Amino acid sequence: MIEAVFFYVFATVLVLSAIGVITARNPVHSVLFLILAFFNAAGLFVMLGAEFIAMIMVIVYVGAVAVLFLFVVMMLDINFAELRKGMMKHAPVGALVGFALLAEFTWMFKSWSPSSAALNGVAQPIPDQAAISNTHALGEILYTQYVYLFQISGLILLVAMVGAITLTLRRRPDSRRQSVAGQISRRPEDVLKVEKITSGTGVF
Amino acid sequence: MQIGMAHFLVLSAILFTLGVFGIFLNRRNVIIILMSIELILLSVTINLVTFSSYLHDLTGQVFSMFILTVAAAEAAIGLAVLVSFFRNKSSIAVEDISSLKG
Amino acid sequence: MMSSELLANYLPIVVFLGIATGLAVVMVLASLIVAKQKPDAEKVSPYECGFEPFDDARSKFDVRFYLVSILFIIFDLEVAFLFPWSITLGSTGVYGFWSMMIFLGVLTIGFIYEWRKGALDWE
Repeated sequence: MIEAVFFYVFATVLVLSAIGVITARNPVHSVLFLILAFFNAAGLFVMLGAEFIAMIMVIVYVGAVAVLFLFVVMMLDINFAELRKGMMKHAPVGALVGFALLAEFTWMFKSWSPSSAALNGVAQPIPDQAAISNTHALGEILYTQYVYLFQISGLILLVAMVGAITLTLRRRPDSRRQSVAGQISRRPEDVLKVEKITSGTGVF
Repeated sequence: MQIGMAHFLVLSAILFTLGVFGIFLNRRNVIIILMSIELILLSVTINLVTFSSYLHDLTGQVFSMFILTVAAAEAAIGLAVLVSFFRNKSSIAVEDISSLKG
Repeated sequence: MMSSELLANYLPIVVFLGIATGLAVVMVLASLIVAKQKPDAEKVSPYECGFEPFDDARSKFDVRFYLVSILFIIFDLEVAFLFPWSITLGSTGVYGFWSMMIFLGVLTIGFIYEWRKGALDWE
């Protein structure tokens, strides 16, 4: 019973904040709604027993991805009112497609149940959560059983890093940079000269 | 009242539909489109974790971890393309991107 | 679904969220009720020492902030992958250790690239 209450609270806030993401007038509000959606999804993941995914959701998504979106929204000064022009033009078609899609999904999920073959062919059974925590169970298989996928995800992260640098980093030719090595390796003998000057005569 | 698999699956279907609808609605604004894609990937993650939980199979959670990784990389690259595009065109409207072809 | 006994471990977080939400609502409502409301267009207009402001207060961010936050995402995910690894290292053994070392090595290549490119320099 109490689980149903929590499910409906999380689900309602999740759906409402998703609606907020796509309809908000100000994109900063969209990002904040996205953060709320991620938080509620994390709550649902905890209910489903996927505690580690819930933690990643909060740490990586709320902590990093949403902040990245916020940076970009703040970084570009865009006339967002102008971009919203003609927004309603495609709303009826979108709503039609959306309703058709949702009706089909709901229809399918209502009358669907997993076959016994699927229930018997479990690849990695979840151990008892009271004995072995979710994070521990994931760690047991992630680095050995799924090692190739793990390495590929590392490569994807590398590509993302290199791609983002090549796309956005641009040297400004007119900027004056500090050369730390040049400063430190500069010796007094190279740049200073002591002149003995007898009185009455000049240097030059 | 028991919360079953269908509840979570319908919730993820609603979220997926909202993501698709968001792309239709904000057809011109690339930032909102990227956020809609995040919503779609979130619904996929909910779907995988639901199946993982109700079928007692940990594979779904492993895969949703990889989906989260790919989604973060996708957001980073997508926004980098957006920043680069905005520098060249001073606009993020989708229809201006067609001038890049050829 | 998680069993109810395990979910009960999360009760403090729910209590905390409830108190936080309640406190926020009380603060907003109290300021609405207690404070004297005299809205005026001039009160919210931009103000700069008596003359009209020259430009928008929301200035553009530098792209460097964006690059730093990209790095942050990548290494945040890396740390997220380290958590399960660190608690299961005893049972996954040498194989698990080296699979993580390769993963870290790949990301270190990216970090060196970023460093050499000068994406971290603040000029």
